[in-house]
Amino acid sequence: MLSSYLENPTNCFFEGQDHDENILLLLRAHPVTNLSWIIPSLLLFLLPYFWPFIVEMLNIQFPPIPQNLVNVLILVNYLIVLVVTFEGFLHWYFNVYILTNKKIVDIDFHSLMFKNVDLAPLSQIQEANSQMAGLLGIIFHYGDVFIQTAGAKVAIDFHQVPNPHKVADKIMDEVLRVGGKGAG
Amino acid sequence: MPANNLPAVDYILIVHLTVLLILIFYAIFALIIVRQVDLMSKTLITPVSPVVKFISIVHAGLSLGFVVLSWGIL
Repeated sequence: MLSSYLENPTNCFFEGQDHDENILLLLRAHPVTNLSWIIPSLLLFLLPYFWPFIVEMLNIQFPPIPQNLVNVLILVNYLIVLVVTFEGFLHWYFNVYILTNKKIVDIDFHSLMFKNVDLAPLSQIQEANSQMAGLLGIIFHYGDVFIQTAGAKVAIDFHQVPNPHKVADKIMDEVLRVGGKGAG
Repeated sequence: MPANNLPAVDYILIVHLTVLLILIFYAIFALIIVRQVDLMSKTLITPVSPVVKFISIVHAGLSLGFVVLSWGIL
């Protein structure tokens, strides 16, 4: 369930899914992309342990702080670690790209207050392009998939998904299967 | 002016109030996260969704508890 590349998941559903609609592919950003919040969380987690050494090394003079205040400051630090970790996980887990036998769905939660769902019927899809870029992308084999639609909305983009070429191919296979115009 | 020239009582009081304010904002933020997770869980339904929802509620409870605890400690 915590995978970033799921083919035919049986126990996943999305809002607005039809009864005769099956999820063929459920994608998330590659797990490596989570390093952008894992590393800061880890550094913040370790900060209280290294704080005395940092203060000593930089030769900073602090006025005496009561122990109860120090305890609360440590607590605040760990709360920040908790929220960065939890928000990072939520952002990764719930930002998904779905290919069904009827359409493509792009669910985005950009921040606490912003939800965006893009839907594109397979019959409206004209082409799918993929690209891998960057050192981590090449090493861990992830990249972006750009899907051109015939509608007013120009494109749906899958960002940092695993196996982007395979995903683009699978999308076009499905488009051809439903006989979408302009496919191929 | 070096920080250790400040009157000790005022300095500690300001830090106390700042920390409490941060914790109160954090508790409000935690409650917003509960709402956000609820919205997310309705959008994408998976076996993990109820677990995440439970964690968010526990997290909000803890953050409210920490406000009370810190008020007591400080």
